[in-house]
Amino acid sequence: MDTNLKNVYLSYGALVTPLGNTVEENFAALQEGKSGIKKYTNSGFTNENWPLAKIEQISENRFDTLLRASFIELNQKVPRTIINSSNTLVIISTTKANIDVFPNDTFESGIEILKNELGVVNEPIIVSNACISGVVAINLAADYIRSEKFKDVIVIGIDVISDFVVYGFQSLYAISEQAAKPFDKERTGITLGEGVAIVLLSSEKRNSEFSVKYLNGSSSNDANHISGPSRTGEGLVRSIQKTLVRSHINKDQIDFISAHGTGTIYNDEMESIAFDRLTLNSKPINSLKGYFGHTLGAAGVIETIVCLLSMEHNLIFKSLGYSSIGTSKILNLITDTSQTQVNIVLKTASGFGGGNASLILIKD
Amino acid sequence: MKVVVTCSIFPNKIVVNGKQLLSIPSNEADWKKWVYSSLNIEYPKFHKMDSLAKLAFLGISVLEQEIDFSTYKDEEVGLIFANKSSSYSSDNKHFINYTQKKMVSPSDFVYTLPNILTGEIAIFKKWYGENVFFIHKQFDIEFFIEQVEFLFNKGIKACLCGWIESNDKSEQASLFLIENVDGVLLKEEILKELIINKID
Repeated sequence: MDTNLKNVYLSYGALVTPLGNTVEENFAALQEGKSGIKKYTNSGFTNENWPLAKIEQISENRFDTLLRASFIELNQKVPRTIINSSNTLVIISTTKANIDVFPNDTFESGIEILKNELGVVNEPIIVSNACISGVVAINLAADYIRSEKFKDVIVIGIDVISDFVVYGFQSLYAISEQAAKPFDKERTGITLGEGVAIVLLSSEKRNSEFSVKYLNGSSSNDANHISGPSRTGEGLVRSIQKTLVRSHINKDQIDFISAHGTGTIYNDEMESIAFDRLTLNSKPINSLKGYFGHTLGAAGVIETIVCLLSMEHNLIFKSLGYSSIGTSKILNLITDTSQTQVNIVLKTASGFGGGNASLILIKD
Repeated sequence: MKVVVTCSIFPNKIVVNGKQLLSIPSNEADWKKWVYSSLNIEYPKFHKMDSLAKLAFLGISVLEQEIDFSTYKDEEVGLIFANKSSSYSSDNKHFINYTQKKMVSPSDFVYTLPNILTGEIAIFKKWYGENVFFIHKQFDIEFFIEQVEFLFNKGIKACLCGWIESNDKSEQASLFLIENVDGVLLKEEILKELIINKID
């Protein structure tokens, strides 16, 4: 049997964002079209009032507090026998981890909390691949399950808002003065966000009522520029093509695309070119950055959880912040949250370092 | 699985396939620039890179003198990189910029992600293949082999693996290329050549 085709099932782990502390709370907020973005006084380097998607209950020690906050729901959704099993691996997806403790080790505290407080048995693996980290981490989790090295893999996507990151993106003139408007004509940049999302990938069905299978995924570099998106979308095109081939899926079978859509002029343009080159223009597509902001290392995992919600409820969420097309290639952006059959989903991500990644999920 | 070539760069020497290729003078103020010059390569982008990306670039440049990468198509080489301290050197620059110098610099900030180095390699070689960056406590050969196996299972022809570190205490670039062909993989040899061969 082709080891790349062994069954891998996905289920919810946890979701803590400005829109809620559980998957259900986030689902309710998404249905209402709520945004987690607000303006924060003096959040900028020279006291600008940037919009941010910030979790207001957290006042200090943001990374550790946020990570711990996810354990409440994780313990309800994933049995202890899985969390604490030697057959379970944890993969963390993060860009800057606990950056507030810099210049001390920023990755140590998360690992210690997972081992000491959650009781994970195996040494967690950290993927730090900029904005594609979450999708790369889920792809890697599937590799571990298909290799039969582990029965379950818990993927944790997490990043917090910090001066380090806000000031940095400000220096790039990449932050929008209004909440991000992905793919819109008026878009001017990103809104930074924070959150933690956990998905469980398993060799067996862990949820009897609703089941989604992971088909396959890939990554591909643009080989173009370290921070500027490719003008041809080459890396994203190649990643989607590889993922389709590995998934044995024809592109016409895709029901819905969960795009990256940061809200910057060049990123969204690049994505539109890539989807156009693959003639995926007519597929319903959204970006969730208008709800959650750009959560960097958490984004791919947060958005995959929302893909699961779309598949479970046959509901595709409107691309919040979008009203009219602002890219040179026309896409079918979702303007109203609506019911539709969602069986096969393509999730994509693109980021600094020229990285692109994608994965395909199918309803079981 | 077969190791095609290995190389390690330390501030005092370059080791290729276990043999010392070059000894770097200890009085060099900018030893990476010295290595760049001594390799007779022309790639002006090098001078804009942060230390992590420079180390990776020097690593692949040394490997290029040993093997012919043009035998691989542009999607056939997977990049698997890791280190312990992420983009510490650039993080520190950006941190000092906004905490002490009261300024922010986009050219410093863009390097505050470790995977920028895989982007630099991809740009240099025009490679569109798979790429991943891990943060690990220490160099772990078994872990790299595991990742290589995953990519080989998907039909990738070769993997360029690397442990690139740049922090206050040490700088190192250790790279090895593994091909998806039959062969005996001598893990101990890789370990010896890449890691134990440290500064004397």
